[in-house]
Amino acid sequence: MSKDEENNVALIKWSEDEGRVKLGLPSDLDLAMAQPLLDSLRHAFAIGDTIEILADGVERVSTACVQALLVASRTATESRQTFAIVGPSAPFADACSDLGLSDWLKQWRRS
Amino acid sequence: MEDLQQFKQTYFEESGEFLGVAETGLLRLTPGNADMEEINAIFRAVHSIKGGGGAFGFSDLVAFAHEFETVMDGVRNGTIAITDELVDTLIRSNDVLGQLLAHARDGTRPPAGFAGQIVASLKNFAASAIQEDADVEELYAPSPAVTAAATGGATAADGRRTYSVRFRPKADLLLTGNDPTFMLRALKALGDAEIECDIGGLPTLAHLEPELIYLQWLVTVTTAKNTSDIQDIFEFVSDESLVEIAEHSAESPASAASKAEAKPPAAAAASKAGAAPPAVYATEAAASATAAKPTAGRSSAQSEGGHANLGNHTIRVDLDKIDRLVNMVGEMVITQAMVAEHVRDLPQGEFQELLEGLEQLAQHTRELRESVMSIRAQPVGSVFSRMPRLVRELATATGKDVSLVTSGENTEVDKTVVENLVDPLTHMIRNSIDHGLESPDTREATGKPRTGTVHLSAAHRSGRIVIEVADDGKGIDRPRVMQKAVEKGLVQAGATLSDEEIDNLIFLPGFSTADKISNISGRGVGMDVVRRNITSLGGRIGVYSTPGQGSRFILSLPLTLAVLDGMVISVGAERFVLPLTNIIESLRPKIADLHGLVNKCDVMMARGEYIRLVYLHALFGIPGAITDATKGLVVLVETEDGGRLGLVVDEVLGQQQVVIKSLESNYRRLDGVAAATILGDGRVALILDVAGLQEMSQHGGSASSVAQRQVTAASPQPHVM
Repeated sequence: MSKDEENNVALIKWSEDEGRVKLGLPSDLDLAMAQPLLDSLRHAFAIGDTIEILADGVERVSTACVQALLVASRTATESRQTFAIVGPSAPFADACSDLGLSDWLKQWRRS
Repeated sequence: MEDLQQFKQTYFEESGEFLGVAETGLLRLTPGNADMEEINAIFRAVHSIKGGGGAFGFSDLVAFAHEFETVMDGVRNGTIAITDELVDTLIRSNDVLGQLLAHARDGTRPPAGFAGQIVASLKNFAASAIQEDADVEELYAPSPAVTAAATGGATAADGRRTYSVRFRPKADLLLTGNDPTFMLRALKALGDAEIECDIGGLPTLAHLEPELIYLQWLVTVTTAKNTSDIQDIFEFVSDESLVEIAEHSAESPASAASKAEAKPPAAAAASKAGAAPPAVYATEAAASATAAKPTAGRSSAQSEGGHANLGNHTIRVDLDKIDRLVNMVGEMVITQAMVAEHVRDLPQGEFQELLEGLEQLAQHTRELRESVMSIRAQPVGSVFSRMPRLVRELATATGKDVSLVTSGENTEVDKTVVENLVDPLTHMIRNSIDHGLESPDTREATGKPRTGTVHLSAAHRSGRIVIEVADDGKGIDRPRVMQKAVEKGLVQAGATLSDEEIDNLIFLPGFSTADKISNISGRGVGMDVVRRNITSLGGRIGVYSTPGQGSRFILSLPLTLAVLDGMVISVGAERFVLPLTNIIESLRPKIADLHGLVNKCDVMMARGEYIRLVYLHALFGIPGAITDATKGLVVLVETEDGGRLGLVVDEVLGQQQVVIKSLESNYRRLDGVAAATILGDGRVALILDVAGLQEMSQHGGSASSVAQRQVTAASPQPHVM
């Protein structure tokens, strides 16, 4: 799990290139990660046009983190920003399926 | 058994809505325009119909819905390409599904070989995508549950039961070290589970508290386990979370719920499994454009407040019950008017408190009336949404390119009015496309875009709803209309008619029957029927046409057919009610204001304008009335199209809210009369139709007034005075 300290807020792995923000999800997205993830998402939506969530390395994910990503996708729709969950790992897809969110993931996933 | 009936009823009602959702979505589906949200909505709609049908054992329906659903699944996976042929097949499949629902509802079986062709086409489409489908099945674990039901009630046979489990975790569940995933996984492990997540309670990114849960779930699980096994799963969270379990076996879906009494919504929701949002919410759901699963749409209408109960915000009420309520309120309005009338006879200055009380009663009655009316109000969108289908079919049939634009769908109007709008609107749109719009080539040649536009709009205007059907076609061919009218003997040869009068000829009965639909020139196919329908609703229709630029049909209708604010007037011993919305002012003209036009009519100068006078006593043959306008009163009225008339009456008695009693259903239609009512003193009074009066005075009915005037006015002007 890598974190950057930026603006006094703990952010998860982050890169930005001409309005294209990439957030690399850590392998363990437990409850404690919900706040950093949310802060990162807020920051990303504030500065980026395109927000990509790299979810290929996720091994565990809590409902809180999926919920934050759900809210992010809705924000993207409302603000017409581009949002995508890139290469979701099998555990991530399983968690979505368990939560009844397969369709949601399908809508936002990108391989 | 009664419970089961009730659930069936709910199922059919919801299925009707789903069919609508599916149709709306399918009509927007074009090869170049594949909106995932829309495709998902269609899929969910079909899926829901199938799911509920399975629970009730409608095997034909389920089998067909399964084929339909399979193809829709392929479409949303992208394994089946969207082609015109596919869309047509899907639209027809939706129709077939509707017919199968009707059979299921009526308890009849469809004839052998029913829809065989459609099923074959569906299978063909599905076959092209079977390979890719396999992994999708895996991803959607829930579908086997429904499939099991679909394949002939296996669930019942092997003793498994279907439960609906609603799970709304306490907001801070996560902080206790628990996670909803645990329970949901455990439910899945019990059997075949379909999990729907309701994301309607989610806040915005800015307001999200990351460690709280805003989600809730509806799980439909088919399992051999019993209710207590399910309860065990939630043992550690049930104190703080809401968990509702409702059971329904395949044979008796509604019976034996663990908390059956309290559960109808949950059980009903179960039949919604995978449900698309009800039509009313569809727009909102699309706007939020987020969610995967249907409950999302349902709850998006629920407010952002978070954990509102599913389905508690609306109830379904039998229309009859509302009608009884409306009727009762109507009677109350009459009684209130009656009391008010008696009170007028009380000695001045006494019974002050009684009078104040009655004043309040009057106000409350009015508010009650408005509230009751608003219960019946429905957005006209429910009618508008049927029109794209019509336009599509007509465009194909006529070979024209047509785009339908609608606006004001949310304008609300009484349910009866909405229902009665379908036929007239269908007719008018058909008319616009068939006769108004030119072929693409002709349009191009005249510098118009190849695609013609029909604009359907609705708005509230001065207490009425105004609906407009406008096209950008060639407009009414006036010389041709005139020629037809002369041929038919509707207009005398050589008569000079204003453009407006010529346009309005298309509403004459004799005019329409002569021109068959296939005839290209001359608009007016069945427009007399349209006008009759509209008039019977207390409405009016007018047409405004600009050659080369198109036509606008404007119809105005009352918002409700139950109550009306009116002015009571007297003519001789008779009482009439004039709708308040029509009245401009009333005045007693001076002799100098009146002028007679020989063999035409009398006119009055009012506010710098000549206004035709209509003598009600002459029109309706009422004896003992005041015949001289300078001794009686002239009520200036205005029709929806802006035409003005001066009605000569004896007296204006006062304003009153009256309950409309249909003349047509109790007696028959009368010219110049919109309906009847019962006044406070128990007398029956006719409610006048101002536009009807105008017509009567101009055409048929005018004979009597003219004749009457000819008697009294052998030398026109002096006698009138």
